[in-house]
Amino acid sequence: MTQIGWMEKWTLRFVVIALIFLAMAGFEGVLMRTELFSQPTFEAIESVVKTVRPGSVEHTTAEQFYGMLTAHPIVGIYGFVYMAIMGAFYFLVPHLLGKEIRHKKLVPINFALQIIGVMTSWLSCFFGTFNSLYTLYWPLPVSYDRVPLVASIFFIAGAAVIMVNVLLFSYNLFSTVLRQSNPRSYSFGQFLRAAFGISRLMKWLGKEDKDAPNLDYNGLPVFIVAVGRGSIDTVINAIVILTAGVLILVYALAALFKAPLDPTVVDALIYKNWFWWGLDMVADGNVLMYTSGVWYLLIPILTGRKLFGESVVKTVIMVDLLVSMGVWSHHLMGEQAQPLFMRIFSGQFITWGEFFTMGLTIFASLMTIWLARPVKLTPPLKFILGSIFGFIIGGATGLIQANVGLNLVTHNTQWVPGPHFHVLLLIGVGMLIAAVIYALIPMMTKIEIKTPWLVNLHFWAWLGGGVIMAYGMGMAGAKGMLRRTLYEGTQYQPYMAVAMVGGILLAIGFLAFLINVVTTLGLMNVIGLFLPERWLNRRAEATAA
Amino acid sequence: MDIRERRWLYVLIAVFLIFNVLTLSPLVPWQKWLLWSDPTPDQRVSIEMQDYEIRLPAEGIEIGADEYVEFTVTSGDVTYGFGVFRPDGTMVFQMQVVPGYENRILWKFDAPGTYDVRSTEYSGPRHPEMFIEDAIRVTS
Repeated sequence: MTQIGWMEKWTLRFVVIALIFLAMAGFEGVLMRTELFSQPTFEAIESVVKTVRPGSVEHTTAEQFYGMLTAHPIVGIYGFVYMAIMGAFYFLVPHLLGKEIRHKKLVPINFALQIIGVMTSWLSCFFGTFNSLYTLYWPLPVSYDRVPLVASIFFIAGAAVIMVNVLLFSYNLFSTVLRQSNPRSYSFGQFLRAAFGISRLMKWLGKEDKDAPNLDYNGLPVFIVAVGRGSIDTVINAIVILTAGVLILVYALAALFKAPLDPTVVDALIYKNWFWWGLDMVADGNVLMYTSGVWYLLIPILTGRKLFGESVVKTVIMVDLLVSMGVWSHHLMGEQAQPLFMRIFSGQFITWGEFFTMGLTIFASLMTIWLARPVKLTPPLKFILGSIFGFIIGGATGLIQANVGLNLVTHNTQWVPGPHFHVLLLIGVGMLIAAVIYALIPMMTKIEIKTPWLVNLHFWAWLGGGVIMAYGMGMAGAKGMLRRTLYEGTQYQPYMAVAMVGGILLAIGFLAFLINVVTTLGLMNVIGLFLPERWLNRRAEATAA
Repeated sequence: MDIRERRWLYVLIAVFLIFNVLTLSPLVPWQKWLLWSDPTPDQRVSIEMQDYEIRLPAEGIEIGADEYVEFTVTSGDVTYGFGVFRPDGTMVFQMQVVPGYENRILWKFDAPGTYDVRSTEYSGPRHPEMFIEDAIRVTS
């Protein structure tokens, strides 16, 4: 591998760790699939895990299963996706703005803290069997007859480290984008006003502030606009999850010191609204904006054609940000206690705002490719098309369950994790991250991806596996199988067998990807990414001598 | 906005209108009584959930087909779900049971038979135990 720069090296480190987290999340996924398909097989695997589990407490199979179910999204989202985003954005943002990242010292700190936070939360679930699920519905996380107290403290501590780290990362991004030497510099307040379109609104109302920056027309690359606006959601998400974490931690510490607090003083429905408002800033906020930004960045580069409808898509990103502020009630469709107006307006209608924004985004992306014909179907472009497919299918199925009528028979069924969010995450986001990695490796290292047939194997196994898994889970959901529920008997076994085949294909696709990336970079170079510079220099000198 | 983009936007608006009008309309059977009318229940049933238990009325639940029944479900500790299922496992309807609230839903069963009740929300590792077979009997 040619000598690469400081930032490029850190980006590759983030990527390698992200892939390790993806493997961990996948391993948990396979274990849970096994459990849903055949409990005795799972118990055999679990007996091996038990040998390395610390402490003498015997955990039930259900506790182990739900512990894994709690850890799985933390590792998948904050381990795999966030690590990959951090690595990619730390390279791309300064690269596109033509300046260095503002606080370089924060880069290794982000790297270390994210790993520490994710691993702490993971350990508290996988081995400590903290099992409140990522939803943390009040008062389950403080019901210590159901969740282990000490493990809950570790879980929340890990989550807090992750959230603080995400805030540090966002600060570094904002600081880099907003400081002097952009097309123009903005204060954070000016940026926020521009991001939410307030300056445009004032102009429309005849009260134009001529000094107000306009993110959409002041020359910032569209990718930076998407990252800037998406990161507002990232910050809100981190702050809300932190507040919930602090609340849970206060109850946990009080219980630890034998002075338990009354959980009924916190209103479960208000908590749920607050929690989902913040949590949804990822699911229906930054994911969409970051994804749009990456499509807008890579498609013109890969096709050699200017992005179709650039000014419109910048406005679309603003609408995405506004929509993300009001969409959370689609997670509370099952709550008859939630006002009907909120369920229909916020839960159903505002969710359709995403149909418009993603519909226009996908149209602009596909039109750019269409108008650039003939295009070479390079690995990143192929994976971008796969990612668009994932967002179409996962988005459409989401609209079905975010419906005040249809939610009555889809809520909490396997439909939700299957055709909706696993398609969005595995095919939509997963293939997008693969596209970025396939694009960045040659860009940063000047080395082309080594084995084209492994790219194709990765593509078809991953896409096919995701679709087959979603089909199995979706059919089970349509037959009434719930998510988050262990069933006795074999009622849904055929569907779970189909989903398992999908999971195995996904694993094959991942292995093809991993082998291709490692052989492209060289195993020693990958290992070298994590060795101290002085060791590598000494080795290089010895080799030269 | 480019003319092709504008046309696409019209397509999106059409899909939005058609889907939402259809699914909010009485074409979805339960929307008739959940959204478009406010019928007086023929029967009221209260159910309590606590300590991983679903506590049905002592006399059981017997409902006439095509009659309106209002289920009021409360929780004494954590969030549960109240789901009604056919014997083949398919779901009839469900709602969340939030502690501190009277969670109500009005329903009309159109087919006689027995129905199972299951908690549809995770409430701790013993959550799968919250299942009662033939909990509701619907008579013709």
